[in-house]
Amino acid sequence: MGDEQRINRRNFLSFATWAIGGIISIGMGIPAIAYIIGPALQRTNTQDWIRLGPTVKVELKTPTLFKFTIQRKTGWIVNEEEVSVYVLTDNGRDFIAMSNVCTHLGCRVRWISDQEEFFCPCHNGVFDKEGKVVSGPPPRPLDRYEVKVEGDQLLVLGG
Amino acid sequence: MATRFGNWLDERLAWRQVWTAIFLRKIPKVNWFYTLGSASLFLAVNQIVTGILLTIYYVPTPDHAYDSVQYISTQVQAGWLIRGLHHWGASTMVVVVTLHMLRVIFHGAYKYPREVTWFTGVVLLLTVIGFGFTGYLLPWDQKAYWATTVGTRIAAAPPLIGDTILRIVRGGEELTAITLARFFGVHIWILPTVLILLIALHLYLVIRIGISSVPKRED
Repeated sequence: MGDEQRINRRNFLSFATWAIGGIISIGMGIPAIAYIIGPALQRTNTQDWIRLGPTVKVELKTPTLFKFTIQRKTGWIVNEEEVSVYVLTDNGRDFIAMSNVCTHLGCRVRWISDQEEFFCPCHNGVFDKEGKVVSGPPPRPLDRYEVKVEGDQLLVLGG
Repeated sequence: MATRFGNWLDERLAWRQVWTAIFLRKIPKVNWFYTLGSASLFLAVNQIVTGILLTIYYVPTPDHAYDSVQYISTQVQAGWLIRGLHHWGASTMVVVVTLHMLRVIFHGAYKYPREVTWFTGVVLLLTVIGFGFTGYLLPWDQKAYWATTVGTRIAAAPPLIGDTILRIVRGGEELTAITLARFFGVHIWILPTVLILLIALHLYLVIRIGISSVPKRED
């Protein structure tokens, strides 16, 4: 009986006010957080086979540069982005395709044919022609694309 | 522990006194129409919270305004909810604020000593209408564009100075990127500043003077 008497009108209303306020705050707070972090959690990387060109264009034993453009959608804006790939072959049948993005901090590397190595101008990262790190700060070899040959055409998996 | 921290804080801030003044003040026996002010305040908070959230994605340029609004409504998680609350909250606010004003008129609550509360209330009503007018353009769709074309045209009605006023409101001859940008600026900076300052004064006066009781036949 003592407990029942303690729940008077004032206590009840005060409790109800806090409860309703709490429900509204949570009901608004959770969608608000989802709304803010939503796009950060979205993975829109749809990979697809991209045609680079005929295999005969790849020079033997020296990395050959291929460029292609992909459409990248960020929010409500669609951008054309140029992607560069270095393709290397020793025998004209087996190919490796390397990204030209330095694994250190994302600058673009370029092939220096005199020295037979890839050079990154940002922090002097050097890779050999298969993409392995020779010197400088890069933590791992150049990233590679999956390659396949269809007829006389060379394709890489990217996006 | 909580009580001890409460006491520690109270010794320095005297927050219990503030709490008592705001929430435990004595009020006369009134009816449900007296909750319209609180309802307006609740809606104002809703508009501020959802409005701030909308600016995270909205871009006020003719290139991006429409697309970014579509992006909010269709792509962002809970974006439809945030925009919906802001959209419907806006209309509801005009209605509730007007009802609040009518209640004050019918109860004669604008009389001595509450004249200043009334005056700030009048400006607050105009501010809310200003919010509605400037916010209507921001989605930058056909309805927004033509409604604002017509709406700003009204500013040209006064003789002699009308045309100048129109040019100032639009930021030029036509409805352009400049119009959109300035409506956005007014909507998210100028009007909110006015709104918050006036609400603060309005509430201070409500608490300081107290609310009027329901008038009786002999009053």
